[in-house]
Amino acid sequence: MAIIQTSQLYKDYATNGVTVKALRGIDLTIDRGEFSALAGPSGSGKTTLLNIIGGLDHPTNGQVTVNDILLNDQSAKELARIRLNRIGFIFQAYNLIPVLTALENVEYILLLQGVEKEERYSRSSEILKEVGLGNELNRRPQELSGGQQQRVAVARAIVSQPDIVLADEPTANLDQETGAMLLDMMHDLNREKGITFLFSTHDQMVMERAERLLHLVDGQVSDDEWKTKKKTQKKTK
Amino acid sequence: MVITAIALGIFSMLLAMGIMNGMNNQMVENTIKTSLGHVAIHYDGFHNDMKLKYSFRPKPGIMKAVKDNQYVKHFTKRVKFEAMIRSSEASQGVMIMGIEPENEKKVSSIYQYTLKKEGSSFLESPDSDEILISATMADKLDLLVGDRLVVMFQDMNKELVGNAFTVKGLFETPISSFDKYVVYTGINTLQKMAGIGNKISEISIITGNKEEVDKAAGQMRNELSGKKLEILTWKDMAPSLVRSVALFDTMMYVFFAIIFITVIFSIANTLIMAIMERFHEIGVMKSIGTRPSWIGGMVMFEAVNLGLVGLAAGIVMAILVISLLGATGIDLGFYAESMRMWGTGTVIYPSLKTMDFVVSALIVFANTIIAAIYPAVKAARIKPLDALHYV
Repeated sequence: MAIIQTSQLYKDYATNGVTVKALRGIDLTIDRGEFSALAGPSGSGKTTLLNIIGGLDHPTNGQVTVNDILLNDQSAKELARIRLNRIGFIFQAYNLIPVLTALENVEYILLLQGVEKEERYSRSSEILKEVGLGNELNRRPQELSGGQQQRVAVARAIVSQPDIVLADEPTANLDQETGAMLLDMMHDLNREKGITFLFSTHDQMVMERAERLLHLVDGQVSDDEWKTKKKTQKKTK
Repeated sequence: MVITAIALGIFSMLLAMGIMNGMNNQMVENTIKTSLGHVAIHYDGFHNDMKLKYSFRPKPGIMKAVKDNQYVKHFTKRVKFEAMIRSSEASQGVMIMGIEPENEKKVSSIYQYTLKKEGSSFLESPDSDEILISATMADKLDLLVGDRLVVMFQDMNKELVGNAFTVKGLFETPISSFDKYVVYTGINTLQKMAGIGNKISEISIITGNKEEVDKAAGQMRNELSGKKLEILTWKDMAPSLVRSVALFDTMMYVFFAIIFITVIFSIANTLIMAIMERFHEIGVMKSIGTRPSWIGGMVMFEAVNLGLVGLAAGIVMAILVISLLGATGIDLGFYAESMRMWGTGTVIYPSLKTMDFVVSALIVFANTIIAAIYPAVKAARIKPLDALHYV
């Protein structure tokens, strides 16, 4: 059952009078519960595609649907609501709020959702324990290592029980061991909670662990490769 | 920065308000204490045409209405009309006032304004045939204490009468126009010269405070209705003074507007700088689902909090400084002539009323909200992707 669908998705950027075609007609379907990755060289359109699916950017042409909601038609307010309730984000640079503690960073999402204080605390502390940060609840981001910060970001992304987690180069700033640990953790969450993960990555380790690998070249899907028994197909353009 | 801007804004506003209040109060008080009193009883028509023909007899019924009035603190009788005085050097038109020296001390401040040096002293009795003139007039007429001058005027029969008076003392009030125009002598002496018997021009009254003036006047108007008398409050007698106070108030509002336009821009600028510093952070907040209205509300909330702290700091500063200046006064002696022209005196004692704090607090609060609107809208409209790329 499709959770993400894009149809003839185009994105052009105008920079200094020069038009750059970041996406060139992407048709993509991601089913619920997938653990997929967008791979490709720099400038291939991975992050642009992820941003459009996340409602952070608008396509120049084409349609994008998340959980049967057509994002093209949504207002800024509605897109914010969709991001809050349906989508979790994990960024390469962690992007935690520096003035808040690990716990508060995670709680912030629940605060926006109007969850009561006690429930906010119990759910946030529980999820931080699950990602191995039970003893770091009251530390601010600058007091945590890169791996710990990214785990807080994962906790923040999943605390609201979203349908999809979009992770933009989540392991790029982490060492091999920490990156592997983080990927294991996300894979466990995918299997246990049924959360759909879509990564953009350069990292070979992420590509190896992804169940489905979509290769992007020059804004187009050049290869769609399933590596598990879920689906045994290989589409090469 | 925002707190400092607001604190300085409200401090400046309250200080200006305090000084303006002080000037207004002193202008009014000086005018009341120098000549007008709080309430005056005249024969009907006297105020517009201060002639001897409008003298009236202070009958027991009139005096009883004054004495029995619960708001009346002190009163005195006066005779006053226009006359000419002449020294060996020059002459000039004046308003001559015949007074009861002992009662006058309680009603006006002319006794305090009388110089106590070089032989100058206040009148001693209603029968005094001596005269008090201002130091300004003495200079102009080239007179010293003990010198003689001639007072001339038309009596009740339109006969020109004149008499020589000895200068008993010199006075200096805070109002230069008063000093240039008014002289004092004993009431009995003036009544005899004018041929008006025991008739008087006015009964000048002081009440407990300015708030009792209208009540006192109203009560006397009721009791003395049917008599051909005019019972006037200081506001009725000095409409130009009331207009001056209103002019000062208007000037004050213009001044406030200038201060607060500056403060609004300062607050808005500082908030925009604060938003730019947190541009990336706001981008993160928006990308994870924070609604634009929440971001805008957050900026407003921050501005309101800063406003409240700035407000408190400004009010505390203003209370401290105005309490100090209210006790010591602000000596504007170097503007003495201008200050005397306005009738404020040369030392201003700033003062504030509770309502001043309420009004200024409301204005500052409203200004803070207005100043925060643009930054709040700007923050709400930040595109999350632009902000995420901004480091």
